[in-house]
Amino acid sequence: MASFRPESGMVMTQLEAHEASLLRRLVGELRELLTANLEGDPINVRLFPDAYEEPSDQAKYRDLIGDGLHSLKLQALDGMSHDLGTKGEMDKALDEEGVNVWLTALTDIRLALGTRLDISEETMQAEPDPGDPDAGALAVLHWLGWMQESLLEAINLRPNPTEEDDQ
Amino acid sequence: MNTTLTPDTVEEVESVDEAIPDRPWLVIVWNDPINLMSYVTFVFQKLFGYSLDKATRLMLQVHNEGRSVVSSGPREKAELDCFRLHAHGLWATISKSS
Repeated sequence: MASFRPESGMVMTQLEAHEASLLRRLVGELRELLTANLEGDPINVRLFPDAYEEPSDQAKYRDLIGDGLHSLKLQALDGMSHDLGTKGEMDKALDEEGVNVWLTALTDIRLALGTRLDISEETMQAEPDPGDPDAGALAVLHWLGWMQESLLEAINLRPNPTEEDDQ
Repeated sequence: MNTTLTPDTVEEVESVDEAIPDRPWLVIVWNDPINLMSYVTFVFQKLFGYSLDKATRLMLQVHNEGRSVVSSGPREKAELDCFRLHAHGLWATISKSS
């Protein structure tokens, strides 16, 4: 089973071969989807939400950010892909930058999968139903969430970031 | 809070108006069923330097009330904050404060 262990400022990340393989497949699928850039696809809408309700403001904002958001998301997938390697299990120390890449990539994969499943608060909290055709995908969604939670716990065991006073 | 309009408070309101000629832009984060509560709290701490208490309070507001204003300021700042939230997978929008 995957483990994320804090050690001298790094997070020692271990994944079994079948876990690494599943994650490689998910990374590949999301990269394909981002590259295809399907206008109006619900996953695209969720990963690249409008900042403004007013269309003219939104158009200006899109011009301003260009493909910046798109590039950042692809970079995170590439980073995770690099850490995963091409085959077998994974055993790697992630530094702070690496952990951030993983948190971002895991988030985007979960958002894509959850959007495809049309997830709601209720389905997220429901008991697993083996008869549900989406049961497998839902289990993957929860597994990804568990990994994200574990990574967050691992970095929370390091010193807290500088705190600022409330404004 | 004193609700009587004493000369003091009137002066205070006027000086605030002079200091901030434009209404600030608000960055709002909306509830979504997929992102983890712990992750949303982490993102607020990381992006805005908020304490764990403040980040947790904002996250709970998003979760319970469906939305929360997480930052505000000039348009450029709001746009940068919104972009960074989108880069972290949070559902954020920008509005002019009313």
